[in-house]
Amino acid sequence: MSRRSMISRRDLLKLSACGAFGASMSRWLPVLANEIGASPDRRRSVILLWMTGGPPQTDTFDMKPGHENGGQFKPIDTSVPGIQICEHLPRVAKLMQHCAPIRSMSTKEGDHTRATYLLRTGNLPQGPIDYPTLGSLFSKELGQEDSDLPNFVAVAPYTQFSPAAYGPGFLGPKFAPLIVGDPNRVGTNSNGANYDQSLAVKNLSLPQGINLERADARLSLLGDLESDFASHRPGLNADSHQSAYAAAVRMMRSEAVKAFHLEGEDAKLRDAYGRNQFGQACLLARRLVERGVPFVEVSLNGVNNNQAFAWDTHAQNFNSVKSLLEVLDPAWATLMSDLKDRGLLDSTLIVWMGEFGRTPKINQQTGRDHFPNAWSTVLCGGGIKGGQVVGKTSSDGMKVDDRPVSVQDLFATMCKAVGLDSMKQNVSNVGRPIRLAEPTAKPIAEILG
Amino acid sequence: MTHPARAQCRVMNHLLHARCHGFRLALAAVAHVLVFAVAPLFSDDVQELADKIDRRIEARWQKDGITPASIADSAEFLRRVSLHVAGSIPTVSDARQFLRNESYNHRRQLVDELLESPHYIVNFSNFWTRVMMPESATDVQALAQRPGFQAWLRQHLGNNTRYDAIVYELLTTPLAGDRGMNSIMQNPGSVSPIAFFTTKQIKPENLAAATSRMFMGIRIECAQCHNHPYDSWKQEQFWGYAAFFAGIERTNQNDGGLGQVKEVFDRRELTIPDHETVVQATYLDGTQPQWRSKVSSRRTLADWMTSKQNPYFAKSAVNRLWGHFFGVGIVEPIDDFGGSNKPSHPELLNELAADFAAHDFDLKYLIRGIAASKTYQRSSRKTHVSQTEPQQFARMAVQGLTGEQLFDSIAAAVGHLESFQQFQPFQFNQPGPRTEFLELFAPDNNSPTERQTSILQALALMNGQFTASATSLEQSSTLTAVAEFPSMSSGDRVEAIYLAALTRRPRPEELERLTKYVDSGGPSKNQKQALSDIFWALLNSSEFLFNH
Repeated sequence: MSRRSMISRRDLLKLSACGAFGASMSRWLPVLANEIGASPDRRRSVILLWMTGGPPQTDTFDMKPGHENGGQFKPIDTSVPGIQICEHLPRVAKLMQHCAPIRSMSTKEGDHTRATYLLRTGNLPQGPIDYPTLGSLFSKELGQEDSDLPNFVAVAPYTQFSPAAYGPGFLGPKFAPLIVGDPNRVGTNSNGANYDQSLAVKNLSLPQGINLERADARLSLLGDLESDFASHRPGLNADSHQSAYAAAVRMMRSEAVKAFHLEGEDAKLRDAYGRNQFGQACLLARRLVERGVPFVEVSLNGVNNNQAFAWDTHAQNFNSVKSLLEVLDPAWATLMSDLKDRGLLDSTLIVWMGEFGRTPKINQQTGRDHFPNAWSTVLCGGGIKGGQVVGKTSSDGMKVDDRPVSVQDLFATMCKAVGLDSMKQNVSNVGRPIRLAEPTAKPIAEILG
Repeated sequence: MTHPARAQCRVMNHLLHARCHGFRLALAAVAHVLVFAVAPLFSDDVQELADKIDRRIEARWQKDGITPASIADSAEFLRRVSLHVAGSIPTVSDARQFLRNESYNHRRQLVDELLESPHYIVNFSNFWTRVMMPESATDVQALAQRPGFQAWLRQHLGNNTRYDAIVYELLTTPLAGDRGMNSIMQNPGSVSPIAFFTTKQIKPENLAAATSRMFMGIRIECAQCHNHPYDSWKQEQFWGYAAFFAGIERTNQNDGGLGQVKEVFDRRELTIPDHETVVQATYLDGTQPQWRSKVSSRRTLADWMTSKQNPYFAKSAVNRLWGHFFGVGIVEPIDDFGGSNKPSHPELLNELAADFAAHDFDLKYLIRGIAASKTYQRSSRKTHVSQTEPQQFARMAVQGLTGEQLFDSIAAAVGHLESFQQFQPFQFNQPGPRTEFLELFAPDNNSPTERQTSILQALALMNGQFTASATSLEQSSTLTAVAEFPSMSSGDRVEAIYLAALTRRPRPEELERLTKYVDSGGPSKNQKQALSDIFWALLNSSEFLFNH
């Protein structure tokens, strides 16, 4: 008997125990939406702001004024004395008391595909083990089985260079993200003007010409087939099919799905986030977190959605980065203040990162290339003691001078910030247990609240 | 062609294609002489293999007090074996034809026909691509290289090239020079297994990890960095094995690209990275190769790997195919024969491996034997509490479909003819329904018996465009034909869509209930739309979405 089959049997029991599905059609009926808002024992959520392509640390959170590597941008003061960041992040600067920039990320992978996998799963692609992406890993721990909304929502993930880095890996499709605003195809994606539509869930509404009554009749016919199949051919496959269908129907019919209806928001607030896909996606993230979704990721792939890899600034770095920051700054700052206004910032960890940084040295096309040796990420909000900087790079930015932070250290810190035990194990597809973070990982204690 | 004639032809084929590489071609020359002498001995080797399987499996049932499920009826067998061998459910007309005829050897004939169809080639080129180029499921750069690799596989599967010869060619394909990387980079679609190397980044350590796992079921990659915590593999063994690939050199690398490739054919040692230690190329069983002059290191490895004396080679292939047909291997996970993963039926595994090797690694022979066994032909319907342990094979396991199988099955059920279209790897931006399906239903690496359904998959199947047109009276050939055909009763119509989607006739109680539903017209008070509702439910059902 393999270890894996034993686990499956346990999963199976859990699936049956949650009773998501049964012969009776009454189970398909919508469950009322959870009460909106914060409660004292609410679980923590994570919002990952993913900067596809690798943002330059020297033009954002680790400025090098006075050095030729510093580039064209000026540093500005922030709400925290002594911490300076880029002039094109003025609104984030005013909220620095909630943020902890880590200036000493130190990784070893400079290839987009592999580095994306590394930063999003905590591991390099390695033989047959399919590591799960952050969102799957965390939402499995933080989420609830029978919630109306999926526990992991990904907005505009640009997955083409490293699809495995965006998937649930060995945790299985049950922990796959619900994807909205899929940027991988032209046609399903919108240009800037069409962001409301692009942030809708695909296939969420009934097919044309099928009303609710007919949909019920169809589900009832399906229910008969399913109870027949499950009684004669019991097993994980049929149970998982039933629970996925039940969850999908629950979502289709729930009140909570209104989270995706952004038109209900105050127009001024929508303006503040920025009337572009990333800005509105950050607003969507707040609405989802508010309704208890434990993990939302929002990718910033480009300033208009025709661009997919805009942070990869091998040429014309400063023009591109400036326009990216002009989208990033209002969205991120409004997200923090909006969450704070609703009492949700303390329970929501916000993570800003990409797959690596960019070379401090500016190349001949006024660009910056891939640079994993010494770069920056930022943690803010829930569980983080903001207003302090972690680590230090040399004056030319070429190496970490103080407190190098590895990917595993970062993962362990994120676990702690949302109250997870990083030693928790999942059984991988090769049968070996894999922890949320490796035992050798050192969480960054000084920024953990 | 009569059956004995076909069998004889098969034997001839079998011998003619015994080996396709190098010096072994000589065998073909003597094939004619051998055919008539050998044929009687091989006359029913398929049944012999099937009997061997049943003997071992049934002996265990007896010992462990297990009551097996009954033998599957024709409909259940037809659907199952069509999916396993040809990658799709049968069409209504194929189903009707098969279910009419209950003659002796009927099931054997069906398997022979499926194996000779182009669907077998496509289905198994997908299968072996998943095995050899798993990267192409998730990595866009690997995906772009898939067409040439699959063309190479299809050529061999079409010729029924023996498994050892396929692996031999894969391991020894030239990387440098005119026939190597350069020509592939210039013509990405050209027929070649070279993508196997490029997707492993042409690194000795990646090639070592991949080849030992894929072709021998040995996972040594953890020993790359440290001595293995669970198994007995040592770091030096890993690098000793990797040293067979040490002659491959990449030059002019830039920014993650692979650069140019040179190969020093007789290099036989490498230095463990970040260590001082130099290791000599050594087989995984610890023996030192007998080096011959002008024979490259890779060829020296391939000779050992694909030899009948290598116990891992045949066992690993046999277990993989067994897993394909039963959903669960005799060893699990399917490609990990290490430490604690003991075979459930060690004698059977040995016998299958020996038989496979004795038949010169003939894949079709192995498939015929498995499919002819009563064990494979057991129903998936559970009839006794003792049928729970998957590795007892007391009933057929319910298995997930791959994206390709699912798409092609929906196409077959709906009556689309273009299900055979070639996959277009470069059309990211204009996905056909097939590409979208393959992405959404890309199988996770979980065992097919533990396939999970995601919410997005459920939403796509319930509400997506593809299902909508499949169940639309305007667009679905099957549904339109069934709904419009004048002289059919409601019961006949229900039966026809059951055959189309589930490859079986409805049971009496289903027929009665659904006939009433059609006659009433359902909520829309329209009989045709009521049929469309039933078809929708069938296409969304577990019975349709799984192989069982």
